[in-house]
Amino acid sequence: MSNVTVVQPVKATVTVPGLEFDEKADLEQSPAWFLDGTHSVPPWTPLFGWFWINFCRHGMQYGAEKLSLPTVKGWDWRFKNGGGYLTVLLVKSEAEQRQREVRFREAIRPFVEDYDSLWRSQLDEVLGLYEDLKTLDLDKASNIDLLDNFERTINVCRRMWEVHMYMMYGTFTAYILFENMCRNLLSIDDTHPLFHTLITGFDNKVLQVDKRIWEFSRKASQMGLADVILASDGKDIASRLDASPNGRAFMEEFRAFLNEDGWRMQRMSEMNLPTWIEDPTPPLVNLKQFLLKGGGFNLEQERAKLTREREVAERDVLGKITPDQKGWFTTLLRLAQKSGVFSEEHDHYLDLYTHALMRRSALGIGRRLAAAGTIASAEDIFFVVPEEIRKVTINPDQFDLKPVVVERRAEWEAWCRTPNPPVILRDGFDMDQAMAMLVKSNDPIALKVVVGSMPVVRPELKADLHGTCGSPGVAEGLARVIVSEDQLAEVQPGEILVAATTSPSWTPLFSFIKGVVVDRGASLSHAAIVGREYGIPVLMNVFVGTQQIKTGQRIRLDANLGALFILDK
Amino acid sequence: MTVNKWIYGLDELGQEHLELVGRKCANLGEMTKLGMRVPPGFAISVDGFETYMRETGLGARIEAYFSAQGEDFKKNIQKQMDASRAVKAMMAETPLPNIIGDAIESNYEALCTKYGDRELPVAVRSSGAVSMPGQMETYLHVRGPSEVARRVVEVWQSTFNTRAIAFRLEKGMPVDKAPIGVAVIRMVNAKSAGVVLTVAPTTGDTDHVVIEGNWGLGESVVSGEITPDNFIVNKASLTIERKVSRKAKWVISTGNGTAKADVPLDLQEAPCLEDHEIHELVRIALNVEKHFGVPQDMEWVVDRDLPFPESVIWVQARPAKFTAKRKEADADYIVDQMARLFRH
Repeated sequence: MSNVTVVQPVKATVTVPGLEFDEKADLEQSPAWFLDGTHSVPPWTPLFGWFWINFCRHGMQYGAEKLSLPTVKGWDWRFKNGGGYLTVLLVKSEAEQRQREVRFREAIRPFVEDYDSLWRSQLDEVLGLYEDLKTLDLDKASNIDLLDNFERTINVCRRMWEVHMYMMYGTFTAYILFENMCRNLLSIDDTHPLFHTLITGFDNKVLQVDKRIWEFSRKASQMGLADVILASDGKDIASRLDASPNGRAFMEEFRAFLNEDGWRMQRMSEMNLPTWIEDPTPPLVNLKQFLLKGGGFNLEQERAKLTREREVAERDVLGKITPDQKGWFTTLLRLAQKSGVFSEEHDHYLDLYTHALMRRSALGIGRRLAAAGTIASAEDIFFVVPEEIRKVTINPDQFDLKPVVVERRAEWEAWCRTPNPPVILRDGFDMDQAMAMLVKSNDPIALKVVVGSMPVVRPELKADLHGTCGSPGVAEGLARVIVSEDQLAEVQPGEILVAATTSPSWTPLFSFIKGVVVDRGASLSHAAIVGREYGIPVLMNVFVGTQQIKTGQRIRLDANLGALFILDK
Repeated sequence: MTVNKWIYGLDELGQEHLELVGRKCANLGEMTKLGMRVPPGFAISVDGFETYMRETGLGARIEAYFSAQGEDFKKNIQKQMDASRAVKAMMAETPLPNIIGDAIESNYEALCTKYGDRELPVAVRSSGAVSMPGQMETYLHVRGPSEVARRVVEVWQSTFNTRAIAFRLEKGMPVDKAPIGVAVIRMVNAKSAGVVLTVAPTTGDTDHVVIEGNWGLGESVVSGEITPDNFIVNKASLTIERKVSRKAKWVISTGNGTAKADVPLDLQEAPCLEDHEIHELVRIALNVEKHFGVPQDMEWVVDRDLPFPESVIWVQARPAKFTAKRKEADADYIVDQMARLFRH
């Protein structure tokens, strides 16, 4: 008989204490709860869900409050079966809206006056916090220090979300105003090709990382390593390179690059897949895809062209407005242009980086708990929540979390088999009313990332599917339907990517595919921004693309018309 | 002993030489490149100051002086004032090495020869590579080689004004030296002077050029003490719209400075610029605006002694400042519109 305490979960389904979805109470609070399909499909592991629900929620309320948005107080979030459900917190009275507006005018001003320094200072603060976390050698640290590192990681995550949402609310507010002004002055909105031309042709950190990988593909060729890489099936690229002195020298340099820029996992909003630093397979597969495609880094040639087109469009547009409108219009144009850069860079520096550090800290504890027999393997830590980590980390030999992990893992597997409903509505409340609630909130993030524009169905086109234009252009080719990140290596040059949504870890694909079709997205979604920078068409808000299109089918997408044709049905 | 080049003709300089000769000199060089006539003269580079500090041994002494200061130096204004006095005294007591003095004097004498005046009046102006409050000494109407050299040293001394020392301490810059150049340029004998704006300051209208001017030196216009003549020129058609004011006062050169005086009666209601001078000002201003891509705020002088068009001389060109005000108005408008986004 061992004297180890077996921790029995009282009710295993409690993953995020206080923020589990409670049908009765929560539908009373708000009539509509939306599933965050972009981030929580497939369902989150319990530990990741805990972080997201607690701090994305906190960050949005912090951001909305800090800016004193007149009509919305951020979003509320609940956890249900691995899914994140959200609703908006409306400002209830007009008197309060007026009060908030007074403060809003002051709070939003830094975004207008000096956006770059604002973003830079926020970013520098967060990057500094990351460096602090990284200084601890997890395998040599005491249990106390490990737990301390984890607690600090929790605080860094919390601060990251504050910065994230404060910046995002402010940035998107400017973007929406610019779009409104374009609608009023030029009669175009943000699905119009001219609008896209105006905000395209900018470099960002994510694209710079892509370019580095392309440069490494050139280097590999020069070092005579192309054949080895092309003959590898993906997972074994690193081991085959490490087998030769030349390859080892190459990998040493490649790993140094990853230590800087590899703080990301294949899936943006999860922590159960290895980071690029732990397993360089995903960037090496990108590298192999660059080798297969051959030729230059088309992003650079493309950017020169896009920049020229943008400058012509800017002159053209400025010529159409009156001199006294030029000053503020130009300021807003610049802010809208920065929105795209922000959207991409914040994923890299905020979400991906923090999640990679959460994984690092959690696995440090996971290894320690596994060694003590508290859990069976280090990765089991993703099925443990912080309350339990606090309970066991200093004296892991005293506790047994294995039964909790078994139960949670079984639950998680069940969540993965049964999709969460896209929306949970109060009786008598329909989807149109739910959307109207989002629109009424005027919440800039809800409008630009969640709602997007609805496709206009044009029967005369005889299209199989309709969508909105995220990036202009027309493409025809074979479809490649990707439902999860581990299939990314299957994408072949010249194909058209069909997915529910995309995230920054997918960007290298954009350099060799012909077009993108996504089920959900708005003009500031990842797929739209990156598609524009690579000059390939992107069709968004197709809703059922991943269900109706099959891999290998020949399809034609016309983003300008918002139409998709399946050519061999 | 060799000494690197540290004196430059203005026509050798441009915007890229900011760190070599300081902003003022680099600007004058750049203006020359853009086809603007600037007062002729030469620039003493930052290296000139450093050579002086090295040759005299002052550099090492001053460095030693500052490194002997305690922790509280940064916060103690009295100590900073003492340091300013002590360092300036060191500089004042140290004779100018011949190698430095001769170089300055021979360049000045070459300028004198060119204009046939052995005691050509010049302005000796500081030209900081970084903008630094408290070190903007300018000496007007300096005549004679030894006097010019003396004023150059005084400009160098101004880098140890208390305000300059305090500024460098606060910004974490080295306190024992400062990158400063000196401009030595011929005094202009101003018939009239004023400003040109390639955008209307109040409305933001960019279709017209606005010229303001008065008889005599430009100070009277810049200071806003009088109502100057106002000429609005259409950038496309070049038609001139005139508002000639009664100009009772002007600023004139005296032997060793400037003074405010009454404008002779016959000039008071006469326009201070002739049409061909106006058109020359507009021509150059538009070139400069085009070059920089932003509206310009420029200062001009018409010389009494030189023939047209050599008489039209520029002393300053910078992006129009009003844009700051305009920007604020734009920000107000944007914030207002943002607030409206949230109204149902």
